[in-house]
Amino acid sequence: MENQCTLRNGPEPSEYRQRLNLIIAIVMAAALVIVCRLWYLQVIKGDELKQKSENNSVRFRKIQPLRGLILDRRGLTLVDNRPSFDVLYMPSRGRDHQQVFETLKTLYASKSFELGADAALTKTLRPYLPVRLEKNVPLEKVALVETNAMTLPGVYVDVTPVRLYLDGEMLAPIIGYTGEISKDELLSGADDYSSGDILGKAGLEKVLDSYIRGRHGAELVEVNVHGKEIKNLGRIDPVSGANVVLTIDADIQKAAWKAFEGKAGAAVVMDPRDGSILAMVSAPSFDPNLFNSGIPQEEWIQLHTNPLNPLSNRAISGQYPPGSTYKLIVAAAALEEGIIKPETKIHCNGTFELGNRIYRCWKKHGHGSVDLNRALVESCDVYFYTVGKMLGVDKIAFYAKQFGLGEHTGIVLNHERKGLIPTRDWKMARRGEPWQLGETISVSIGQGFNLTTPLQLAVAYGALANGGTLWRPRLVERIERPDGKTLKEFHPEKKGDVKLSKQTQAILKKALWGAVNAPGGTGLAARLADAEVCGKTGTSQVIGLPQNEKARREKKIAAFHKDHALFVCFAPANNPEIVVAVIAENAGSGGAVAAPIARLILAAHFDRKKKAQMGWQAPELLATDENLHRQ
Amino acid sequence: MIFLKFDRRIFQHFDWTLLGLVLAICGIGVVNIYSSGVSQVDSVAPLYLKQLQWILVGLVFMVIMFLIDYRVINEFAYVIYGATLVLLVAVMVFGHASHGAQRWLVFGPITVQPSELAKLMLILVLARYFDDHKSMEPYKLRELLIPMVLVAVPFVLVLKQPDLGTGLMLVIIAASIALFMGVNWKSLLIAFGAFLCMIPLAWHFLKDYQKERLLTFLAPERDPLGTGYHILQSMIAIGSGGFFGKGFLKGSQTQLKFLPEQQTDFVFSVFAEEWGFVGGMILLSMLLSLIVWGLKIALHSKDLLGTMLAFGISALIAWQVIINMGMVLGLLPVVGIPLPFMSYGGSAMVTLLAAVGLLMNVSVRRFILQR
Repeated sequence: MENQCTLRNGPEPSEYRQRLNLIIAIVMAAALVIVCRLWYLQVIKGDELKQKSENNSVRFRKIQPLRGLILDRRGLTLVDNRPSFDVLYMPSRGRDHQQVFETLKTLYASKSFELGADAALTKTLRPYLPVRLEKNVPLEKVALVETNAMTLPGVYVDVTPVRLYLDGEMLAPIIGYTGEISKDELLSGADDYSSGDILGKAGLEKVLDSYIRGRHGAELVEVNVHGKEIKNLGRIDPVSGANVVLTIDADIQKAAWKAFEGKAGAAVVMDPRDGSILAMVSAPSFDPNLFNSGIPQEEWIQLHTNPLNPLSNRAISGQYPPGSTYKLIVAAAALEEGIIKPETKIHCNGTFELGNRIYRCWKKHGHGSVDLNRALVESCDVYFYTVGKMLGVDKIAFYAKQFGLGEHTGIVLNHERKGLIPTRDWKMARRGEPWQLGETISVSIGQGFNLTTPLQLAVAYGALANGGTLWRPRLVERIERPDGKTLKEFHPEKKGDVKLSKQTQAILKKALWGAVNAPGGTGLAARLADAEVCGKTGTSQVIGLPQNEKARREKKIAAFHKDHALFVCFAPANNPEIVVAVIAENAGSGGAVAAPIARLILAAHFDRKKKAQMGWQAPELLATDENLHRQ
Repeated sequence: MIFLKFDRRIFQHFDWTLLGLVLAICGIGVVNIYSSGVSQVDSVAPLYLKQLQWILVGLVFMVIMFLIDYRVINEFAYVIYGATLVLLVAVMVFGHASHGAQRWLVFGPITVQPSELAKLMLILVLARYFDDHKSMEPYKLRELLIPMVLVAVPFVLVLKQPDLGTGLMLVIIAASIALFMGVNWKSLLIAFGAFLCMIPLAWHFLKDYQKERLLTFLAPERDPLGTGYHILQSMIAIGSGGFFGKGFLKGSQTQLKFLPEQQTDFVFSVFAEEWGFVGGMILLSMLLSLIVWGLKIALHSKDLLGTMLAFGISALIAWQVIINMGMVLGLLPVVGIPLPFMSYGGSAMVTLLAAVGLLMNVSVRRFILQR
């Protein structure tokens, strides 16, 4: 090492010394330029620029864009914007702040209003920073402030657009809500949001925010000492967000939402021909308009601590034992595997013994000797205990997976749950215990570990209805610019095939038809005059649920012990165009509670269709045209 | 015994002037960031406190870089180079995006900007290369091929993020070191010619916002609401400070948040508004003293390696000062280059303090490397 240092031993070569001196000279020259510039700006032009900064401030004002509308499949507006009035105070314009606030308070008191946010008044005021006194005030207050402007120096009203959710509760779990950007969201820093921005917080508003929110405009204005705008130096118009056209049919959605009045549960209505979601209900719900101007603390806590969890979307994140609706899958598996023939008869005397345990049929004294058709029509448990035992849990799971159960359906919404289709391997891996045969018995009637979401059930039954195509549910049809040009189209997307023979399909469809139409069927309450309905009831016991569900249940009252009512159906039988999956929580039996709900939904669809065929146009359609013009 | 003696001399010849200067500038920086952040009531943890924490972290690295003999550090130059490249690639893959750029790596609560580290790493690796390839003759283009590759790789990675400012900084530092080492004038002409030819090509690869900035610089009235607005506000802020300034916490431009990026790229505008021409001159002279001091260390180093390291670090600081000030004064286009020791930024602060450690290292060891 030291031998290598021969180049620089003792005094440094003059060459480097020269270069370094030259460099110091260059740096000094650059510094001199900077000093001159500083002198020019601060001393020569100092007074002028000082004037500019103090008297004629140039102000940069952000203009919030209009969020895109959300429309149903026929163009009916579901989510609109409306002006919201905020009362602001510009400290530089008021002389005596306290005096101004007092005047405002007395003025309000004269009309028995209250001044909302006192907190804003105690903050330290900076001359040119306006503070927001009140958000989203009613028009009466606006009028009051505007007419008394003379006595309220510095107080003014600002108009900003906020979301207007028409029929808010009906679609809140799907569409979500908006709100001002939070600190966390600001810090996560994605996509150039800035403070004060309004953005989607949940549901489609959040998922599609980048399309919906549009682009800020800006205005550069020169203001004088009094904050009065003297000159407009330039303006960039905001760009409105894109409109979202959903696959939702507002009529069906309305009917489904009404059918759930006073109940907790979920419904999914899908077109089995392309996977379009025609309606999706999760009840109870919440009013998304509450979030527009910052939801009051108490209401937020109430929503969050409500044991019925109104903020969740049960249709995609509610996981329920499928109960007897699962028998369709077990029947399909048994037929395809050749374990039974349609005519195979099994005797049901009301009980099924395995070892020293006894499993009961829902019908106490048994169904007698039943074949597959009757077993499905009358939902005989013993028949499926027997078949399930022969199949084994892994075979059942194999077919359940084919039907898309136990997996995400891939809908665009966040927080979709997978449900659970148990297998031997799953239990070994998760619980560290081997599978028990008794558990297969529970699984074969959709109890035990089984969990599905309402959306999964709709997709699975849809696959039977359409002859074997498993669709990815389609909630958004297209996104279009405010001028109507299509920005993005969401085409139907096939997720997989359910490979069932034509024969199996025919047998199963016939049995589902029977369940709704044949004497003794469990789903007679869904029978419709206008169309042949095929369906399957389910009544899932809330006993033996997974840990967390159990814990929740124990905390709560007896209502939670009641069974969940399920009904999944499609119609018309020959050429299905609608699938409905209904779950009513802790409501009783599927045939008695869920089937009537499904019937109301189906009726809404077929009534409209009938009216359309008779040449009578629904009033909503007229409203549609109006909406289109409004854009 | 040897270590004891070693320690004593390090202490005896310790470069207190350098340390004092750097700490003083850092101190002014923290106070200035405090002022620029006062009006931001909604910030989570005040930036000036975070900056203080980063300075403490930086001091640790400074001590490390000071204590290890720079010739030992030199042995690891290629390792450090490789590690930084890995970080830069990691940024591309796992990086955190903000304001349309992907420049940060997140390790729990800490966010690191590897492109800042790249500046120091480049100085180390180039010093190593030229130390391995000493020549009394000016370097020819052929001999400069490897250094060019050494610059090009991190340059492309940084440009991809995209971070034009830091990318240019890397090229400028490398060019400065090469020129300092002496380049054959013919090679220089060829390189310059090639550079000119590259410009249209480079333009093609620039992001729209980068093009916009360059065009705005050439014609500010093109965009009165965007970048032009920033420069205009910056110049109003500085000018309105006048000779004595508006006083601490009294800069209206700053407090009303007219200034863009007032804790990072535009800190000097905040400072000049509140402390005026007098304050600006004091700060500028402190930064200049630091640069000249660094160049002096380069001059007095006992070996070429030390000269190159000290020169590279001084050049890094000098270029950043000149470009940043030129930018906020409206003399140069707005490219994101922070003001050394003044701008808020953890990675930049730690890198710079580590570099100062290295500078002290060279400064002290000229007394120790007696032979």
